[in-house]
Amino acid sequence: MGLISKLIEFVRFTLLALRLQFTTLPPRDILVTQTVDAGWGSLGLLTMLTIFAGLNLSVQSYGSFERFGGQDLLGMFAGIGGVRELYPVMAAVVCGARIGANLAASLANMKISEQIEALEVMAIDPMRHLVAPRLWAVTLSLPLLCGYADVIGLGASYVGAVWQLGLDGGSFITQVKEQVQLSDLLTGMFKGLVMGWLIAVISCFHGYTVAKRDGAEGVGIATNLAIVHGAVMCIVVNLLLSWMIYG
Amino acid sequence: MTRLLRFLETIGALFVFAGGVARATFTAPHYWAETLRLINVLVLRCIIPVSLAVAPVGAVISLQGIMIFKLFGAERMLSSFLGTAIFREYSPALASVMVAAQAGSSIAARIGTMKVRGQIDALAVMSVDPVRYVVVPGVIACVFVAPLLSILTNLLGVFSGWVFAVPIGGIDHGAFMENLTAQITPADLWIGLGKCAVFGLGVGLIAGYLGLNVGRGAADVGKAANDTVVSTIVLILLVDYAVSMVLLGAGL
Repeated sequence: MGLISKLIEFVRFTLLALRLQFTTLPPRDILVTQTVDAGWGSLGLLTMLTIFAGLNLSVQSYGSFERFGGQDLLGMFAGIGGVRELYPVMAAVVCGARIGANLAASLANMKISEQIEALEVMAIDPMRHLVAPRLWAVTLSLPLLCGYADVIGLGASYVGAVWQLGLDGGSFITQVKEQVQLSDLLTGMFKGLVMGWLIAVISCFHGYTVAKRDGAEGVGIATNLAIVHGAVMCIVVNLLLSWMIYG
Repeated sequence: MTRLLRFLETIGALFVFAGGVARATFTAPHYWAETLRLINVLVLRCIIPVSLAVAPVGAVISLQGIMIFKLFGAERMLSSFLGTAIFREYSPALASVMVAAQAGSSIAARIGTMKVRGQIDALAVMSVDPVRYVVVPGVIACVFVAPLLSILTNLLGVFSGWVFAVPIGGIDHGAFMENLTAQITPADLWIGLGKCAVFGLGVGLIAGYLGLNVGRGAADVGKAANDTVVSTIVLILLVDYAVSMVLLGAGL
């Protein structure tokens, strides 16, 4: 029963958030600080991770392809696999873990220290003032982060394939140019948009609905739930979107 | 410059901490009951998120792989690529990331909460070593839980890949199974499980360190849980790359 009532509560929260997101303008200064925090704040982490993911993609698939003599197709595989699937999902899971945990922790902390009630007392709608700008911030930054991850990741795959594995650089670039279309890039960014919105809603929900009596432990639980549910949701939604688009 | 120094200081402190944990792990007294309880809790808590996160990956590899392999009329080879990719790379890495997200963050949050409430100091007053009683069981549990879950996700990943290759993608079942069993060697399985154990060790150590060094308030507990996940993901990708390079060099 607990699960079902939680689900109903989540749907109600999502509908309210959607209505607020599209009917009222979010407060501009909060929107800006949140977007800078979510987007700019994730860049360093994302850069480091995408470099290693791109290198990994080259080095690891080389091992698998070599077994049946297909190592010359690495450029194509790294291009398509990376731009369509790996980099958007990685950007969403990793930045989602960072951003989502921040959102959940900050909202939960406001809740247990009664700052949200304080807003209500001042006749400021906390959903409009706190939740709506955070939703916009993550939804807008994640597609851009996905595009950025594509660029860094492709560069790292090139470095891995050509400098470390000694494959032909010209053929790598030709394969990527021929196989990766602009539509692939846009699909990846669209996936980022959807996953970003979902991460934001899930994390805000867990942060906003923390039980006040749980105290410090409640903040930890909310953060944990936000990270796990966000990551699982990203991977499952990515499969569904890929299936719809490419299947 | 100061940031770099602080970063190096943290790395150094982490190594000292790891040394303390190692000493506590290999000397008596052990709290085996607590360790087993924690393994049980973590497996139950992680099994659903880990399965849900890794199973779609096999499906995505099949979905995109069929298109690529069809270009060359080699779609029979898909399963050998799927098998090695799942067993060696994606199942260990993703299962460990999800163990970090679920188990690591909850361990860090639990230890952090204990610290904030003064329970860690209370343990020390009762002359129970907090590292021994709180951190070591978590580290041991993570080292066992990650490979255990990886065995499950290997099967799930290959199965979901099969679903998208054979009934949906139209590849012959016999060819799929034949290429799968011809290419996966026991070495692939052991490499994957070994990587998982190393990643699990990293999860346990980082969670314990950040949990014990939490700040003062409720917000810091959330931050410790968050930092655990982010830094473990960085560590997993880094170690994964290093291991891949070494294995490639060794010709495995």
